[in-house]
Amino acid sequence: MAQDMEQLYGERLKRYVTAMRNEKPDMIPIRPFVAEFTAKYAGYTCQEVTHDFQKAFAAARKCAADFDWDAVVGNMVYVWTGLTQAIGTKYYAVPGIDIPPDTGFQYLEPPEEKAFMKADEYDQLIEDPTGFLFNVWLPRISADVSAMDEPTSMRNNLSFLKGGMAMLNYFTAFGTQNELLRKESGTVSAISGILKAPFDIIADKLRGYLGLITDVMERPEKVLAACEALMPHLTHVALSGADPDKNVPIGLWMHRGCVPFFSQKHFEKFYWPTLKPIVEEIWAHGHQVLFYAEGDWNAHLNAFAELPDGSIVYHVDQADIFEAHKAIGEKFCISGGIPNFLLSYGTEEEVRECCKKVIDGVAGDGGYIMDASAIVQNDGKVENIKAMTDFTREYGVY
Amino acid sequence: MAKEKKAKRKPGACIPWEEKLKELPEISGDEELVKRVWEDIDALGYMYIWQCLLSF
Repeated sequence: MAQDMEQLYGERLKRYVTAMRNEKPDMIPIRPFVAEFTAKYAGYTCQEVTHDFQKAFAAARKCAADFDWDAVVGNMVYVWTGLTQAIGTKYYAVPGIDIPPDTGFQYLEPPEEKAFMKADEYDQLIEDPTGFLFNVWLPRISADVSAMDEPTSMRNNLSFLKGGMAMLNYFTAFGTQNELLRKESGTVSAISGILKAPFDIIADKLRGYLGLITDVMERPEKVLAACEALMPHLTHVALSGADPDKNVPIGLWMHRGCVPFFSQKHFEKFYWPTLKPIVEEIWAHGHQVLFYAEGDWNAHLNAFAELPDGSIVYHVDQADIFEAHKAIGEKFCISGGIPNFLLSYGTEEEVRECCKKVIDGVAGDGGYIMDASAIVQNDGKVENIKAMTDFTREYGVY
Repeated sequence: MAKEKKAKRKPGACIPWEEKLKELPEISGDEELVKRVWEDIDALGYMYIWQCLLSF
């Protein structure tokens, strides 16, 4: 049995990697990014899979064993709130504590005046990003960590001790999880490592979206310098978590740097010049980046086309996947394009029709990976996910 | 990547070895060993704060 699983794993890895290199595999690989859907399928609440990562791992493995998927993420409900609670992180609404137990965790952005970084603190961030995070940012985002001018406390000390040990425990457990996925169901771990664009991380965790909107108008040179100061660090973190075998890509989670959140001019001035060199550097090390283009990034396809052939895998969420394929399909593998509302509220027949349309329009020459548009949460219907899987297996053979 | 030269702390480091070395008495044994172990563990602190920012 173990040998069969190893053979299956090998076939799936080859299929998945071949498609990501924008080539034609034996059939279309299926790599659904399923998050709270796994809880629903395995019989857990959102609270259970968010707060107890072993249950999240078990749910992901159950789905991998029961569905014919080539690759999955070991835990797409990635934010383990047991860890964030140990650190004292303020910006999560935790299922079962802050929100109902069967609602997925939420990220809470503070109001502009309570942003975790103030408008006049850019120079500190630019001068010493790591020092700024430890000395200024962390005390603000944690209920337990003392600010530099405050006396220390047991809660402060425990935040670092428990947070550090818990994080190491969690990351180490992913190694075991990936081995179990391989041995139990022959499933490939879909991504390795994390990247966010400098401009996005400033909006997400430092200045907030509204604060950054003000900053690009009132202090644009500071914003650009901050993005540049973050670049080497984000590159380092991405590479440190990358797949040593250089098979699976580093995940880039794209948030609010696109039109209409910002203008085309701002994308061209801030977002792209400080992301493109990172992707090129990562590619120079032999790693692909998975552009998880949440929302609609089709206004920027010409920019993405500047990247070297094969350097990225481009995931389409709400954008027109046919337009994306036409613009960059010659250069890069495309994934996604099956709308989440259809998977939640449509019929199985509608799902099959949509899959056929996407496969016919995008997958003809290879270089396509079947997936939902966005991460599948607990509103995804089991029968529709099964329809997407089974139809792709039947129809998606080259 | 030109801005990297201006960074007070290089990527991967919280307290650079050069800074730590100034606090130590003269190392009579294998300095390279001490340096390597310091940097390996210091990198865990770096990972902690940047993963807090990026992943959690």
